Amino acid sequence: MDVTLTYNVPMQETFGVWIAVYFYLTGLSAGSFILSTLRYVFGFEQFKPLGKPGVVLAVILLVLAPMALLLHSGQPMRAWHLFIFINPTSPLSWGSFLLTIYPIVCIIYGYFMFKDDKKWSKTMGIIGIPCAISVHGYTGFVLAVAKARAAWSTPIMPLLFLVSAIISGIAMMMLVNVIHGYFFTKDRKINTELLFTLGKMQIWIIVFDLFLVFCDMITHYTGHREGMEAVLHEVTGTFGFLFLVVEVFIGKIIPLFVFSVPKWRKTWVYVLMAIIIMAGIFVMRYNVVVGGEHIPIV
Amino acid sequence: MKNRYAMVIDLEKCVGCHTCEITCKLENKVPVSVWRMWVKEGVKGKYPNVNRVFLPVMCNHCENPTCVTVCPVKASIKRDDGIVIVDPHRCIGCRYCMAACPYGMRYINPLAEIAQKCDFCLHRVQKGLQPACVLSCPNGALIFGDLNDKNSEIYKFVTKRRVTALKEETGNKPHVFYTSMDSSFADKKGMPE
Repeated sequence: MDVTLTYNVPMQETFGVWIAVYFYLTGLSAGSFILSTLRYVFGFEQFKPLGKPGVVLAVILLVLAPMALLLHSGQPMRAWHLFIFINPTSPLSWGSFLLTIYPIVCIIYGYFMFKDDKKWSKTMGIIGIPCAISVHGYTGFVLAVAKARAAWSTPIMPLLFLVSAIISGIAMMMLVNVIHGYFFTKDRKINTELLFTLGKMQIWIIVFDLFLVFCDMITHYTGHREGMEAVLHEVTGTFGFLFLVVEVFIGKIIPLFVFSVPKWRKTWVYVLMAIIIMAGIFVMRYNVVVGGEHIPIV
Repeated sequence: MKNRYAMVIDLEKCVGCHTCEITCKLENKVPVSVWRMWVKEGVKGKYPNVNRVFLPVMCNHCENPTCVTVCPVKASIKRDDGIVIVDPHRCIGCRYCMAACPYGMRYINPLAEIAQKCDFCLHRVQKGLQPACVLSCPNGALIFGDLNDKNSEIYKFVTKRRVTALKEETGNKPHVFYTSMDSSFADKKGMPE
């Protein structure tokens, strides 16, 4: 039907860039925690160098993450309301407790790790893994439950967030490994074996992530009208360049290709790829949060 | 018996004068750049077969409001009489309700930094008065009342006439009803080009 709109009211921004920053930081924190447990819980000795930096970064990033929430909130001085007035149906209400429990578990786990107490660091690691998964997984629910926007209300949103968190966590650990080897060891020798192992892990996780993004796009595009509009907006609209070129091509396909070629196993290539991946995941968070709400609903 | 307040907007009577929009702003002291209710305007067809279309929109006071589900501090409350309100002293301004509302009817008050929205002029309804928009409409296109009162004007209207509501597929059971609503216009979103 031939209808044109002549008067409407502009929408206010809801979740802006600070929420994207927050999702990114919790993702990095959860990712680095999971990687630090690879040795201390699952016993893979080759990941030992990631243990201590992993848990320290997990704590630091998780202290920074709620700062982004305070900056976003209109009434940051009322943040204590979150612990007094609890709404069990709201993912944000779950989050206020997860964001309290997870750093405490992290710190205790780190304490036993630095004391070389294998038994207790394993126990705390086992407790920490579900905490790390929930502290980032719940952010996926935050978007999935907000049913106003078709781009957000998808059941695989929590999984998509967790997978991209692990991608960014591995990329950060690649950088940590290089920095640690280059600046903090006596012989300035980088543990390249570990670096390339992380690259191999990255291949499969990126493939899984691309598969999830593909599932999400296809089902939305063939689904109801709003989903179709959301996909078209993401691919051809304002966020098309950021999504297709920056997030998918530069942030995922190029690293996937580089990590798959044995000839390119050089430290500087892997460092470059790790930086690109971390930037790509940030753009992914930005696209999901800001791009998702960019589609007008009124 | 409990009240169930609701609104009917008779689009056959609406002339798009924006009086409801202005009265609402005055009555509720809504700051510049935000609106509690407004009239979407559009043009349908091409000359000589052309017409203007109007759609006053406001909070739908849903039976299953998404904003109440997602509010982390229970600042958004659905009252027993069906009116959905925001507790101004409890709201932390997290904007989750704004993100979740399928109708996009909430705003952050740029002065108070809390979420606000249409409350059917609760301060007037409690005194037995009509909401400001209903009272100001020059054509009587807006009807407000109690759906549980079988003798009320609104109850007679919704039983006799064909009424629809916006985005009923959300399952939120919106309680602002429209007559003769043009769905092709209601689906038009965003700002005019």
